[in-house]
Amino acid sequence: MTNQIDSTDKNDITDIKDYSKIRIMVVDDDKDILKLLSVWLKKAGFEIQTCSSAEDALEAIASNRPNLIITDLFMEGMSGMQLLTAIHSDNPLMPVIMLSGSAQIHDAIKATHLGSSAFLTKPIDQDDLIKEVKRVLRLTSGSRTAGEFGSNVIYCSKEMAEIIELAESVADSNVTVFISGATGTGKEVIAKAIHENSFRHDHPFIAVNCGALPEQLLESELFGHEKGAFTGANMRHEGLFMAANGGTIFLDEIGDMPLSLQVKLLRVLQDLEVRPVGSVKTYPIDVRIISATHKDLEKAVEDGSFREDLYYRLNVVPLHIPPLNDRREDIPMLAEFFLKKFTKANRRGSQHFAPEAIEYLVSSSWPGNVRQLINTVDLCATLCKTEIIPLSIVQKALQDRPQSMQTLKEVKQDCEKNYLVSVLRICSGNVANAARIAGRNRTEFYKLLGQHELNPADFRIKDNSSE
Amino acid sequence: MTEKKIIIPIDPDLEELIPTFLENRNTDLEKLKQALQAKDMETLRSIGHSLKGVGGGYGFDKITELGAAIERGAKDNDVPTIEQQLLEFEHFLANIEVRYE
Repeated sequence: MTNQIDSTDKNDITDIKDYSKIRIMVVDDDKDILKLLSVWLKKAGFEIQTCSSAEDALEAIASNRPNLIITDLFMEGMSGMQLLTAIHSDNPLMPVIMLSGSAQIHDAIKATHLGSSAFLTKPIDQDDLIKEVKRVLRLTSGSRTAGEFGSNVIYCSKEMAEIIELAESVADSNVTVFISGATGTGKEVIAKAIHENSFRHDHPFIAVNCGALPEQLLESELFGHEKGAFTGANMRHEGLFMAANGGTIFLDEIGDMPLSLQVKLLRVLQDLEVRPVGSVKTYPIDVRIISATHKDLEKAVEDGSFREDLYYRLNVVPLHIPPLNDRREDIPMLAEFFLKKFTKANRRGSQHFAPEAIEYLVSSSWPGNVRQLINTVDLCATLCKTEIIPLSIVQKALQDRPQSMQTLKEVKQDCEKNYLVSVLRICSGNVANAARIAGRNRTEFYKLLGQHELNPADFRIKDNSSE
Repeated sequence: MTEKKIIIPIDPDLEELIPTFLENRNTDLEKLKQALQAKDMETLRSIGHSLKGVGGGYGFDKITELGAAIERGAKDNDVPTIEQQLLEFEHFLANIEVRYE
């Protein structure tokens, strides 16, 4: 049996407005406990639903999607532990607080292993319960279902909800989107989600980092080149705009694009056609443009390093992704999401963060944003050999890498690899030509390829038009 | 002879719930007596456990205390202790006076 109890008695709690839309489901086969907890939680401003069995709760969860579940451990029929497992098989991020009449340590440990957010012993103290509920909600705040817009778009913060709402509203259109935000905030993830939610989703999504390539290479990469357009161009290259035809091109780090190329890009945006390097012909394109930068482009326009006309052409719908430090409520969901991804990719058994470990992650500083969080989660999962990742491992992971942003060496290596890939692509895997463009002899060039595990054969594409 | 009332201060927020709560405890007492007569230790343990969990939350610490003792007695198969606890429970329920403050 389930009862819907409205929250009407809303006095006495100072931060009541923060909780008035939170639904809590209480599951216990003792009706006196259900009534007691309902009174307390209602008084704290929550909306309450009660269920007198785990079976009823499972049925009600699907239709009523609570934000938090409080369940007794020992109940007739399905136990609280079985309920916890069943809930998490469908809703892995659903916070569950477990109540028990006996303070058995092994029950508490088992509940924690199964992913319970907290464990309280009866008789329950009113203040302890409300404090614990608020703590769990703060850490796991599931006021919005994540993953609806894009499988990798994970959030529950109001800040992100507003951005995603705007992104969703413009996704299925041709409108040009401009994404700003610090390095590692997930600009490409949002761009990809916009593409996936557009009518272009069956066509390519091509991301290009405008800051990673020298001017000439970038031009050739974007717009293509004709055979013989320059030394080493022994094959025609169609360019990424043509490759993205029908789909979306994501121009990352647009703020780093050289001025001379900005003019050419502006022309492409105005005329919707590209002219490959060395060609006299232009080709029509049907591509949606999403651009992004971590730089302050308005300032760049002011100091003359970015064209004002291009800025306004790109900045039709601006989306600003806040740094992770400004949306800490997203951290628990993100951490569990990346942990699940890591364990799956590495074919490992499921792992979870201990509640204190999550708390530590939430309170840490994240200058490298979500990218730094991913690195930290991966490191924690690698270091921890048990199912529950304790606080000590998280502390170790963060202290070992106080600046979890990429090191200068890593950035240089990434840049070098991007460059080699581009040169090989342009030269269609011809090492002699690629080495000439790179200004290295063949031996040195091969050595570089070896260091980055690049195989020239992968770039030798069969082309019927070539000789 | 008039028994001295046991005054229990209770949170006014719970005023509406208390009559039913106390009715349920009287029902528990009857069930406990029947279980003791039948030497049904499992029922005694289960009700004791439930009393232990529910009493303190409502402000009746004595009920939690009695429930814990009954649960322990049932586990130990200690009939005299259970009998003593049931007498205390009956006396408690018969003499409490709730004050909402």
